[in-house]
Amino acid sequence: MGTDSRPAMTGIFYHSSFSRRSYLTTGRRLADFPGALDFLLRHPHVKLFECPPATDELILLAHDPALIPQVEADPL
Amino acid sequence: MEGVGRVAAGELANAFCFIGAGGHHAGRDFFGGYCCYNDVVIAIRQARRTGTLRRVAILDTDAHHGDGTRDLVGDDPEVLHLCICGGDYTSPDGTKLDRAAPDPWAIDMSADRAYLELVQEVFPPRATAFRPDLLIWYFGFDTHQGDYGDLGLTSEAFRGIADLMIEVAGQSCGGRLVVVLGGGSRTDLATALIPPVIARLAGVAISGENSPPQRP
Repeated sequence: MGTDSRPAMTGIFYHSSFSRRSYLTTGRRLADFPGALDFLLRHPHVKLFECPPATDELILLAHDPALIPQVEADPL
Repeated sequence: MEGVGRVAAGELANAFCFIGAGGHHAGRDFFGGYCCYNDVVIAIRQARRTGTLRRVAILDTDAHHGDGTRDLVGDDPEVLHLCICGGDYTSPDGTKLDRAAPDPWAIDMSADRAYLELVQEVFPPRATAFRPDLLIWYFGFDTHQGDYGDLGLTSEAFRGIADLMIEVAGQSCGGRLVVVLGGGSRTDLATALIPPVIARLAGVAISGENSPPQRP
């Protein structure tokens, strides 16, 4: 498959919360997932990963500290 | 973030990342447009901390300008950021570009073809010359017919962009490609459009479609 020594695995990163409420106000756009991926997940080189939560430490790599409470206070 | 990290580290060939909230409208000290935190930029900076990448080329095909991403990478010469949106701009160093998406009501060809021709014209040569360690495609399907950023596109455009990104990744960075979901609101479109993109990443053929390109 590959031309080098890297694995030929495709990762899919997903969390069940995304199917309950995705993209904030736009409803359940991912309601059919992960079921819609079943035909892909049968392949041995496709793997589903659960997205871990983002820590404040990670968020602060890009954002001002003041942004975190603003996001948390947003009614969306 | 996890997807970029694992692809950059060589644990995965490529990845598709679903999201709960958007990212490209979140800047250093602002957020909006359904976006909270800039997942793409956080992921790049985290991967840089671990020493797995430096240079990243981003193609943003969400309907709206990635203003948050541009705010965060505007002074970063090791990020190529090309946004297909509503404006035309090229930074002095050539690493930050906006190109206006074709107006589907003002062209004499299909919207899919016009959009793909634009992406083909502007992204591959710049990305290849940039010599990135990894490509990121910010994939919004809000540009599909009937969604809120309707540019007249159909599934053909998204499959075409996926094929193009796989090809460019193969030519420029050993196939390292991460697709990050962006905007789009309709459940039926998400269900129809996302699996074929992932199938292409995985090199899995879908019945009734053209064969996906060979991965590098």
